[in-house]
Amino acid sequence: MTHIKIRKGHNIRISGTPIDEYYNIEQTKTVSIQPHDFRYIKPKLLVKTGDRVEIGSPLFFDKLQPDIKWASPGGGEVKEVVLGERRAIQKIIIQLDEEEKSVIHSPIKYQEISSLGKTKVTDKILEANLWPLIRQRPYNKIADQNDNPRAIFVSGFNSAPLSVNLDFALRHKQSVFQAGLDVLNQLSDGNVHLTFEADTNCETLTSARNVNLHTIDGPHPSGNVGIQIHHIDPWKPNEVIWVVNAQHVITIGDLFLKGIYDPSIIATVGGPGVKNCAHIKTRTGASIETFLSDNLHIDDNRIISGDILTGKESDLNGYIGYYDTTISVVPNSNDREFLGLLKPGNDKTRYSVTNAFVLKNKTTFSFTTQQSGSLRPMVPINAWENMLPMDIYPNALYRSILAEDFEEMEGLGLLECDEEDFALCSFVCPSKIDIGSVIRSGLDLMKDDG
Amino acid sequence: MVNVINTLQKLIKNIEPKFTNEGPLQRFFPIFEATESFLFSTAEKTNSGPHVRDSVDIKRVMILVVLALIPCYIFGAINIGVQAGIATGKVRSLFDNFIFGMEYIIPIILVAFIAGAFWEVLFAVVRKHDIYEGFLVTCALIPLLMPPTIPLWQVFVATSFGIVIGKEIFGGVGYNIFNPALVTRAFIYFAYPTEIAGDKVWLVGPDGYSGATALAIPAAAENSNALDLLHNVTQFDFSWINMAMGYVPGSIGETNKIIILLSAIFLVYIKIASWRTIVAAVLGLFFTAIVTNILAPFSSNTMLSLPPHYHLVMGSFMFGVVFMATEPVTSAHTNRGKWIYGFLIGSLTVIIRSINPAYPEGIMLAILLMNAFAPLIDYFVIQKNINQRKLRYAK
Repeated sequence: MTHIKIRKGHNIRISGTPIDEYYNIEQTKTVSIQPHDFRYIKPKLLVKTGDRVEIGSPLFFDKLQPDIKWASPGGGEVKEVVLGERRAIQKIIIQLDEEEKSVIHSPIKYQEISSLGKTKVTDKILEANLWPLIRQRPYNKIADQNDNPRAIFVSGFNSAPLSVNLDFALRHKQSVFQAGLDVLNQLSDGNVHLTFEADTNCETLTSARNVNLHTIDGPHPSGNVGIQIHHIDPWKPNEVIWVVNAQHVITIGDLFLKGIYDPSIIATVGGPGVKNCAHIKTRTGASIETFLSDNLHIDDNRIISGDILTGKESDLNGYIGYYDTTISVVPNSNDREFLGLLKPGNDKTRYSVTNAFVLKNKTTFSFTTQQSGSLRPMVPINAWENMLPMDIYPNALYRSILAEDFEEMEGLGLLECDEEDFALCSFVCPSKIDIGSVIRSGLDLMKDDG
Repeated sequence: MVNVINTLQKLIKNIEPKFTNEGPLQRFFPIFEATESFLFSTAEKTNSGPHVRDSVDIKRVMILVVLALIPCYIFGAINIGVQAGIATGKVRSLFDNFIFGMEYIIPIILVAFIAGAFWEVLFAVVRKHDIYEGFLVTCALIPLLMPPTIPLWQVFVATSFGIVIGKEIFGGVGYNIFNPALVTRAFIYFAYPTEIAGDKVWLVGPDGYSGATALAIPAAAENSNALDLLHNVTQFDFSWINMAMGYVPGSIGETNKIIILLSAIFLVYIKIASWRTIVAAVLGLFFTAIVTNILAPFSSNTMLSLPPHYHLVMGSFMFGVVFMATEPVTSAHTNRGKWIYGFLIGSLTVIIRSINPAYPEGIMLAILLMNAFAPLIDYFVIQKNINQRKLRYAK
């Protein structure tokens, strides 16, 4: 077991942190898969409105990789296929039956998993239409099943604000989680790495076997798998590293042990706009309305599927994203402070000491969606560098992407990065530059260039 | 008070349509935007990336630097009075000294801000971008770099040169290569050398009352000991402690080193100035001064014998390092680069002071020179990172 100490970064002190208890909500009546959650795919529908589907039956496939299909997270009737501009598929909405049916696969005994081999495991996951659970670095896209990944990383620690406490969510799921890890072990000739917080007391994580265990401590983004890869076994050219969310390890374990796709996940609902900030037992693709009915302080909010740093803006009619396990609600605010910039210290949200040199003992802040400033050219006061615990020069990387200098981008390590690792840099940037989206566009450029 | 704020807010709401699309004054939207966001902060919401943002912005950063400069102004004013008192033999109270000094400082501030704001607004309107706040700091720095006796037309011309040539032609704040306030100072220095070269003291006093500056005294002599020369001056008190306390003639803002040190601690604490640059510059100064001290017995150059702690408190070294060298845009951007950049600034200051008899003071030229080299230093630091990564990839 190795220990990693992260010094750079910041835990945003936002109010509305979910407590370690389950908040009972009305179970969702509709579920949805949204193809825009997945990068670099060309979805092609396999169902149409009115079709009957079971849990696990395929909804659409990727024209670029026809073997990769997406399983329905619910059983019932396809209620609507929402199309956007140029007929791009936005959402496939399924109305759930009272008694949902599930596609049944043959279960496998735990002891047999370790002798299956890569081909059988791959085929089984593909057949269950669950391959999209496995993603790869670089590019943070769905893995190519023909690759042989050098390593597989699972982060057992969510450091993002308001996110699921995995210590709490993975409790009492040891056998399924272990089965999932053993399945992952079959997929790679290399190692499976599981990283968790140093002071965790969740046995599911600490007693995991057949994998390399690492402990990490430090502020966000220490829980990001990209940061962990960088510190444990950094990416090299002509290699891929696969990553799987900790809760999806359980989904994979269930598939092998029970022979069914169990779409249930544990999510959180939190943020300054939410009354009951807690964990929630729900399922992949659940309707956001179920999380928030009678649970909002005011009406004018931004509802985010995912965390406040990297999530996508959604609304009450939306659905939680495929990889997301957090619904964050941040109030919109039109309050404007008279001569606010002259006040020595204020109650506004802050990381930077520039707004706190008159110290006040305040631990959490009610953030709003205000940008607190306008876009300005870069004034490099090291704000980005202090937020990025990687051997990367964010400033130089940013410039090389704007200049579209491929050689420099690669040399500066762009392919080891993902936009989520830079989200905090944008958070603290005094010039209000969104560096994460620039990193994304750099990755897109590299991808197009081959 | 609340009423005033509400009235203001209403007034701004009412005139807003004149400045937005199709309004008769839409060309001047940047002026409207700057006034509005100065008074009431911006209402912009996040539209991409992180949905919440920290409350720091460039306005706040720049205002805080200006705030850190205010003590320098206050002491500068007092010192003008004190020095004039020494020259004329009149003794005034602290407050009277302050008022006496402000009479000289306020016109300079007004001229610098009028010139700076004029060019910044002009470029913002022509280029159709927001008014960038950087000029506030530049214009607040310029008067501190000036002798109190400077003719106001020179301030105007030099500020215009500094803002336009030092900053705007490169694209404005964030794109400039040289620190605009220093470009302003350099312009005066080279355009009107008889008045501001730094060999004669500047003070408000009777005509013809003058003397050599602390730095010029050892520079002018040969085969002597710099400290003996300084201590033999009767006209001014050039002892170490008095120079640190700032009661010597000089540019308005640079004389009191204690105040500058406190401002430095403040700027480092709020993470605007880089402590690396400051520490490296002081190290560079001490290192090079110790080397010149060792070499002093072998040369007729008296400046070589000036001890490092005197270099520290003489001239504008501390002011330049704290407020100019740490300017984030023109300094080296990488942390490693900042060590090299700062060290060379300290080192070059001593070299220019000691070896070059034409320029008694070296900090301005040292910073400008290192501004030019900062991108090169960064290039090597970044190239090293790229090469290390290549090696790791090749394994």
